[in-house]
Amino acid sequence: MTAVLDPHLIPLRSARRIQLSELTKRDRVVRGFLLVAAIIPTAALAFLAYQMLKSAYPAIVFNGWHFFTSKSFDLGNQYGSGVEVHDGYKAPAGAHYGILSLLFGTLVSSLIALLLAVPVSVAGAILLVEKLPRFLQSTLGVFLELLAGIPSVIYGLWGVYTLGPLFSRTVYKWIAALHIPWLRGPTGAGEGLLSASIVLAIMIIPIIASITRELVRGVPAISKEGAVALGLTPSETVRTVTLPYIRSGVIAAAILGWARALGETIAVLIISGNALGVYPKSIFDAFTTMAATIAALLDSALTDTTHMATAALAEVGLVLLAFTLITNFAGRLVARRFSDAGLPVGRGV
Amino acid sequence: MILAAVAALALAACGSSNKSSSSTTTATTAPSSSPTSSSTNGTVNMNIGNPSSSTTVTEAGSSLLYPYLQLLVSPLHSAYSNVTLAPAAGGSGKGISDTIAGTVNVGGSDAYLSNSEFAANPGLMNVPIAVSSQAVNYNLPGITNLKLTGNVLAEIYQGKITKWNDSAITALNPGVNLPDKTIVPVRRVDSSGDTFIFTSFLSATNATWSSGPAFGTTVTWPAVSSEVTASGNPGMVQTCHATPGCIAYIGISAESSALSAGLGEAELQNKAGNYVQPNQTTVESAVNAGATSLPSNLAAPLIYEPGAQSYPIVNFEYIIVKSSQPSSNLAMAIRTFLAFSISPTGGSAPAFLAKNQFVALPQSVVPLSESAIAKISG
Repeated sequence: MTAVLDPHLIPLRSARRIQLSELTKRDRVVRGFLLVAAIIPTAALAFLAYQMLKSAYPAIVFNGWHFFTSKSFDLGNQYGSGVEVHDGYKAPAGAHYGILSLLFGTLVSSLIALLLAVPVSVAGAILLVEKLPRFLQSTLGVFLELLAGIPSVIYGLWGVYTLGPLFSRTVYKWIAALHIPWLRGPTGAGEGLLSASIVLAIMIIPIIASITRELVRGVPAISKEGAVALGLTPSETVRTVTLPYIRSGVIAAAILGWARALGETIAVLIISGNALGVYPKSIFDAFTTMAATIAALLDSALTDTTHMATAALAEVGLVLLAFTLITNFAGRLVARRFSDAGLPVGRGV
Repeated sequence: MILAAVAALALAACGSSNKSSSSTTTATTAPSSSPTSSSTNGTVNMNIGNPSSSTTVTEAGSSLLYPYLQLLVSPLHSAYSNVTLAPAAGGSGKGISDTIAGTVNVGGSDAYLSNSEFAANPGLMNVPIAVSSQAVNYNLPGITNLKLTGNVLAEIYQGKITKWNDSAITALNPGVNLPDKTIVPVRRVDSSGDTFIFTSFLSATNATWSSGPAFGTTVTWPAVSSEVTASGNPGMVQTCHATPGCIAYIGISAESSALSAGLGEAELQNKAGNYVQPNQTTVESAVNAGATSLPSNLAAPLIYEPGAQSYPIVNFEYIIVKSSQPSSNLAMAIRTFLAFSISPTGGSAPAFLAKNQFVALPQSVVPLSESAIAKISG
């Protein structure tokens, strides 16, 4: 019963209009269903952002811009008398909310994690694709993907009971002995910025490595053959052909890994040391991140009868949400911008 | 049959001689009737019994109270077959907030409710069911019975005292060979009643702490570079055991696991100037001194009480509950559970309490708890 139209006989614009009106009822139902399915994720995100904004609104008014210029985050004295009032909103006496220490911790831990993860992932991916025999490739590839599936709480527990104490007695002491600024001082018992960054790095390696592996596989064989023909050694081939080819893809993968590290909650909560309101003075000191603070303080915030504490945590969550969205968009932009056609052969010689 | 059980409980509750009162201590005041006590001979009718259908009472909160409630499930169920208690841990702050939100039926808390919580939630009560305490444990093999004061502890947790052989600590412990080791303070990361009572003690003994972090289930801890965090009392034991040179505040119900993990227990200086460890005598001395004047809402600290033998970190274990329950069966189940836990033949039998190093409520406090229990209705 559907009319058959020959698009070559009708101008394109009216052809499309005719095609739409010729759709059967079933087509329309399916189209409607697909439209709803496509809208749901966007609607969910919009709903989430709206609810966060609504919960955070009292804190936004109460804190004003001081939220972004102050480093101390204090829930106030729940058992004291008296309240603070700003702009009509009440908070417990002594309450003061500032996000700087949380922002610092989030950014520094995720950037150090990237610094550790990207070289390891890229080197590992190149090794996996180019150097290993085929049967080992798939097995090791499977293990790499497995790393991505391990729940974050297990990483946190392993970090605080095994990795942290072991490293703090050995590797951290060697680093501290070098007396480099910010890399020296008491190495602690294993909880701290460096331990958390190492655990985060291990968590984002699978993401970066699996994307890089596909990129390396996509390097045109003809470019590599040309390099061999010119007499380049394998390492020079990697440096001049493979790396420039995959560079923008690796940047996109790194941004995706960074987005994961920014939002990591439980592992950081367990291994960070939860030092609220201070900047870590060395890489071995305790710190905290936005996500870990929300998880750690939520139960206490719920006992605040002015409800300002939960609003302040919602404001922290809003900032975290904005960060994650921006980094994800940035990753996609970079990927799209550089995604067409390989780079010329020999670039970088 | 049920009436006989109720009558027996009522008789037991109003019994004049009570093993848990201060017969073994030397310098305590006799418990006088509190100005708010509604009955001094315990004939409060709490209207308890087996509910008509099987009811579960869900609880969450204090990890200090949790082992006691876990042990209580079975005898409670044997006595009242339609009452099943389902306890969980998670921290006192969680117990309070979950009860207010209605996520659980009752909450367990070492911390009493604040005035603003009472004001914001009319009908919310904190009912004391037992007396517990908190020890300060440390990981220094070979050193037993270290003497510490609240002031020194406050300075350790502020980062002002960083080494075990600091002069402030050696002055308190002449003749003890303290090592030149960094002190690793351990604190709770969850919203904790243990944090509440420990910081109450620090606030009572150190002016800087009192005007700074003060006390609460969560406080803004001063930054100490070697400090580590742990979750729950078992977590505190585990972390302190794994960290040489650590110091931690651990609830008394975890004392046996702390001692078997090789941690030492400190002797704390009380208000009278003597150094004591937590045991039946010292805890009873403190609670009897503190229970002489309780406010009508029963929210009372027992920290740093006077008395030559009083232990300084003592607290009531509270059950947080709303006086208005959604169903009469649930209200009956909750009243029965609470009455059973304060009954000297049930949950407050000395042998039962001793399994977690708890102490029974003093005779002057029992009628106050009973009046509160009687208010629960559905």
